[in-house]
Amino acid sequence: MSIPRLLASRVLFSALTLFLVSILIFLILEALPGDVATRILGRDATAKALAVLRGQLHLDQPALVRYLHWLGDFLRGDLGVSIATGRSIADVLGPRIVNTLLLSLFAFTIYLVLALVPAIIQAVNRGKAVDNVISVITLLLLSLPDFLLATILLFLFAVAVPILPALATISEASTWQEMLRAMVLPAVTLAIMMAVYAIRVLRDSLIEVLRSDYVRLAELKGLRPRAVLFRHALPNAIVPALNVTALNLGFLIGGVVIVERVFSYPGFGTLLIDALQLRDIPLIKATVMISAAVYVGANLVADILAVLLQPRLRTSR
Amino acid sequence: MSMITARSSNRFAWFGTERWSVTPGPFKVGAVILLVHVLFAIGGAFWTPHGFAEMGTGLPLSGASWQHPMGLDQIGRDVFSRFMYGAHIVLMLSFAGTILGMVAGTTLGLLSGYIGGWFDEITQRIVEAMISIPFLALALVTIIAAGPALAGEPVLIVFVVGLVYAPRITRIARAAAMEIATREYVAVAELRGEGIWSIVFREILPNAANVLLVEFSLRLSYAPILIGALGFLGFGIRPPTPEWGLMISENRNLLIASPVTVFGPGLGLASLVIGFNLFTDGLSRMLGQRPVPGA
Repeated sequence: MSIPRLLASRVLFSALTLFLVSILIFLILEALPGDVATRILGRDATAKALAVLRGQLHLDQPALVRYLHWLGDFLRGDLGVSIATGRSIADVLGPRIVNTLLLSLFAFTIYLVLALVPAIIQAVNRGKAVDNVISVITLLLLSLPDFLLATILLFLFAVAVPILPALATISEASTWQEMLRAMVLPAVTLAIMMAVYAIRVLRDSLIEVLRSDYVRLAELKGLRPRAVLFRHALPNAIVPALNVTALNLGFLIGGVVIVERVFSYPGFGTLLIDALQLRDIPLIKATVMISAAVYVGANLVADILAVLLQPRLRTSR
Repeated sequence: MSMITARSSNRFAWFGTERWSVTPGPFKVGAVILLVHVLFAIGGAFWTPHGFAEMGTGLPLSGASWQHPMGLDQIGRDVFSRFMYGAHIVLMLSFAGTILGMVAGTTLGLLSGYIGGWFDEITQRIVEAMISIPFLALALVTIIAAGPALAGEPVLIVFVVGLVYAPRITRIARAAAMEIATREYVAVAELRGEGIWSIVFREILPNAANVLLVEFSLRLSYAPILIGALGFLGFGIRPPTPEWGLMISENRNLLIASPVTVFGPGLGLASLVIGFNLFTDGLSRMLGQRPVPGA
């Protein structure tokens, strides 16, 4: 298959997946047997409140019609109106997504350092004590639930040694310095969570690449070890780590929800939890749909990058 | 020679002392940690120093002491008693949820991989879609959709864990089935005229056992974290039942006054997951598999 066709089929499959996701979310939230309005308001709700809510959700129409309406509006960019606040969902979501993107970007920068440095140290010193020590630390961190890791970091750096704010409550009035300071703890938590998955894979693939013929050749050519490592070995070792990161993105989005919750960061994750607690069905549908789109989009990008980055995949056709 | 006869005549000699001495270190450490957890959980189900919901067992927030190793919470409940009683709840929910996911995922995955064609295509698209919804979002949405009557019930938590795991396990089982389906003994069974169910469960399943065992162990390692996260966010088991994630969340506002009430249960949860992870690591090495973390 030629590269453009390969990419086109990937894009089509991603679109199909998202279409199925929309059906699933709709089925789970609105098409289960039983009255949706009663499930939202509870059994003690008055008949009038139920009737108003049914009107808001268009429950008088058949499920299929409601689904098609929702999908059509969603595709046109109309995310609907939140039940709890009465505001347009797009207005509510916009700033939250920007906040989460800022946090993720910050976390990703820290993640690159936290994943690359230990993995390189391990691969260069494979089999030695340093390698084993880092392996044990990674396993321990891998076993730490995200909410516990966040709480431990909060305790260490906001309670025991109070150098950072415990709550990452930022607003439009905050300055850049305030925002960065507030984001340090949540970003570090996210970065550690992402890094522990990548370090193991990156170490193994780096060791494999360091044993390969072309690295030997580069060494025999008399290149300095540093040049061999960074110019020849690392770019080829990164691809498997990239795929693991993309595959684990589902877990990481879950991590964002928890980390934002622990530090009260006003992002996408806290919005999802708030929407769930208020049983704001239109808002839940929109947030879950967007998080699925992020997951599918990131895996698509990782697939494409894997094809473009790895010479083996690029030439073998 | 004697080794071979011993192994084939008695499968359960597997856990003998000779075997123990050659098993990988992580597996042993993991197995010991898990054994301690299981014994602790069984003990905690029958006896705790104080009642798990008993208030005023001592001075609230007085910190760790011999009477109260994990301190006391805001209303004077003994955190260690709650932790001890919660142990069997965490373990049982984790096992039940993972087993449900395994049964559903294995059945669907093996059938999908063996039958192939349209059935496989449709199953895979649905599985793909379910995996694309971040697992925590899928779990929380399902809990909300179940409505207030079921919220906080153990049955719902077990169902949610199974629902999150099933599509991921389906993928693994399908890949294994597709590989095994090309082997000769499957062709022979087809020629004998065996039905689909018979081939899937009597020919393919036993040969996929190693892959599935590692997968089970891997999923089991993550189950306490998932259940804890649901409890932590307030969508898990209904209070006052002391699930560990819920306890960490309840005591989090005591972090300054009495950190031991948070880190006691936290240490328990982390050690359980460490035990599971080491066990999985060793098991996969013994069975010649390579688990991929997460996914």
